[in-house]
Amino acid sequence: MANVKIDCMYEACPIPLLKLARELKKLEQGDVVVVETDHSCAILNITEWAEKEKFDYWIDETNQGEWDIHVRKTRLK
Amino acid sequence: MKVFFTNIFIIVFKKTWPFWVGGSILAVLNILFFALTQRPWKITTGFTYWGAWIFQGFGGRPNNWSYFQGEQKMVALEQWFYSNDLSILNFGVILGALISVLLSGQFKIKRIKNFKQAAFALVGGIIMGYGTRISFGCNIGAFFSSVPSLSFSGYVYGFFVVIGAWLGTKILLKYLL
Repeated sequence: MANVKIDCMYEACPIPLLKLARELKKLEQGDVVVVETDHSCAILNITEWAEKEKFDYWIDETNQGEWDIHVRKTRLK
Repeated sequence: MKVFFTNIFIIVFKKTWPFWVGGSILAVLNILFFALTQRPWKITTGFTYWGAWIFQGFGGRPNNWSYFQGEQKMVALEQWFYSNDLSILNFGVILGALISVLLSGQFKIKRIKNFKQAAFALVGGIIMGYGTRISFGCNIGAFFSSVPSLSFSGYVYGFFVVIGAWLGTKILLKYLL
């Protein structure tokens, strides 16, 4: 299973979400994309989008004000 | 009791407000501003004065430019950062944004990612600044303050902003992603 990291540090919305959506499209079911971001609004719109798409997601705060947002390409029931 | 206040703090300062709450507060403040100052709220006109004052500081003479003809703008050229109402208002907006981001614990000095990002930001800023002057306002002065006064120009402005935003999205998807 692939695990792709995309560097979205210092990038403003909506670029992190657009990059994530583009990356996930290329991947298989069950693959995970990790978005590295320091933009708190990326968390809001990515989690909102993941919930709408019914994708599994979790967030790690790697540093003060820096997060890894993991999104797995799996449809949850 | 402590939990109660913590929850209130999180709802008010940490979470984003629904659009209707922000919109209603802005509407009330806009009415108050118009009632108190007898003029509509504008943002970029204040920035134009900032630029003009700095230019004057270097010996420039913007008072000869056709843009600054007219009593209100001539008075503004004689004023300074702390004595012009639109300028003070802009400081207030920046200060308010700073306070809100500090309260939510999200203040962070962001670095520039690369040359492309910086170049796009700079070019975008220049186009925006130029655009506000030839359209007599930004989305506040030319739309937000214009529509409630039943001015048709606000709707024309709004229509073209939508077209511009659509074009901007295309450019963003093509070149910035």
